[in-house]
Amino acid sequence: MAAKMILMVDDDRDFVEAVSSYLESNGYRVVRAHDAAEGLKLAKMERPDLIIMDIMMKERTEGFFAVQELRRAPELEKIPVFVVTSLYTALGDFKIQPDGNWLAHDEFFTKPVRLPLFLEKIKKHIGDGLASQSANAGTRPL
Amino acid sequence: MLEMNEPAERETLVVVDDDHAIRLSCQKILERAGFRVETFEDGARGLEGVAALRPAMAIVDLKMPGISGIEVISRARQISPRTILVVITGYATIDTAVEAMKAGAYDFLPKPFSPEALRMIVRRGLDHRNLLLKAEAHEVERELLKRRFVTFVSHQMQTPLVAVHQYLDVLKEMGESEAAAAKRREWIERCLQRTEEMQSLIRDWLTLAKIEGDFLAHRKVKVDLNAVIENILTGYEQMAAADGISFEVHLPKEGCFVHADRNCLNVLFDNLIANAIKYNKPGGKVTVTAEPVNGEVSVAVADTGIGIPEEQQPMLFQEFFRIERKDAKHVSGTGLGLTICKRIVTELGGAISVESQADAGSTFRVRLPAWREEVVQAGRINGGKDDPDGGR
Repeated sequence: MAAKMILMVDDDRDFVEAVSSYLESNGYRVVRAHDAAEGLKLAKMERPDLIIMDIMMKERTEGFFAVQELRRAPELEKIPVFVVTSLYTALGDFKIQPDGNWLAHDEFFTKPVRLPLFLEKIKKHIGDGLASQSANAGTRPL
Repeated sequence: MLEMNEPAERETLVVVDDDHAIRLSCQKILERAGFRVETFEDGARGLEGVAALRPAMAIVDLKMPGISGIEVISRARQISPRTILVVITGYATIDTAVEAMKAGAYDFLPKPFSPEALRMIVRRGLDHRNLLLKAEAHEVERELLKRRFVTFVSHQMQTPLVAVHQYLDVLKEMGESEAAAAKRREWIERCLQRTEEMQSLIRDWLTLAKIEGDFLAHRKVKVDLNAVIENILTGYEQMAAADGISFEVHLPKEGCFVHADRNCLNVLFDNLIANAIKYNKPGGKVTVTAEPVNGEVSVAVADTGIGIPEEQQPMLFQEFFRIERKDAKHVSGTGLGLTICKRIVTELGGAISVESQADAGSTFRVRLPAWREEVVQAGRINGGKDDPDGGR
């Protein structure tokens, strides 16, 4: 059985490298995109099981619009979307409710993400990675 | 935004007076002047009118049966703070005027008054209102810009920190696994790079903050640009040689003296020369030319590099702007260098400009006030002393 596939859209290559390596070591296959346009293209081509979307990429709100785009495409609207952002303060001036209809994402995480919790939420939405989770962590399944 | 000489929308004026003749004449005069006018015969109706119409101005008789004019003024002020309030008074004493002003009136019109006096007082009040509205809009805009900017800077500073944190976290979570072992060295290297990026960002940010204000005004001395430029070029010899980039330098033999702060000049030309190397092509050239021009000194730093696409040139000096080109992706930088240059040049009373062609190269041209002995002697800015650590 093929591994579950996650599309990660983020313009910070180091953040993508770190998080996707961790997810790969947990048996997921990760496809990487570095801007919203590339992310949307890959989403349509690859039909991932889950999408991780950064908000503030080259444009301040690039991720918001990408999520809206995803929700408009009938073939993509059911894919769970995790939104990640470092734009967050304790003052509630940029509050995103995870169940808010306006963004229509499934989970909201602040950067840096807490990996065990992140993994747990991913499992909740799409199940285990199914690829080799033990010794050979990180190698991609065929 | 309202413009004073733009009759786009008819402004609404409200007149509150128990005297029918006055209501009528005010209405006629002001309608003829191009306003929309609503009149009310007592304070209670007048206040309702102000609440409903939010007029640009309300002209209120002080002495009316029922609610007094003063009371109308002070309540109207609460109901519609942007309405300019003017009182009409038959007993124009200092006391009543002061009382009305205290309650929130902007001006007062003593009875009897001529049409000309009415028009003038209305015009004056509306001009005042437009100024207030403009200032208000300005303030809102500034506040918004400031807030967005703070958000943006925080994001820029946070990004490298997040990357480093995430690497460390992943290393911790993945422990001694093979996959982690294979990547460990590469990740540590990236963490070091990102912390360096963070440090230069903070350094540049501080530099920028320091240049602001009149911090420089007291520190301008006689500086020889030749020495500054030669010194910087020497520092970059190795870096340039690594890419096969050569320097060409044209400096006036007799020296090139400007009225400036030495540290700022170092930061300025260091940025421009470093850019000329970083954004050059292998085997390219950096040409630095300085010459006196009409009481100023003009310095050009030219490269034969990748150039700046024309449509990106207007944004070049903005905070955090970076050239978008595939062949510029590998070039590291905070996006603050040219902003710093621009601020320094402005503070020094000069100007900076750029000419560039994509793929052919860029020339940055700086003009700075030349050193003039007589200015210093006349103004005794610093007793005519040379830069203590200047010279060659």
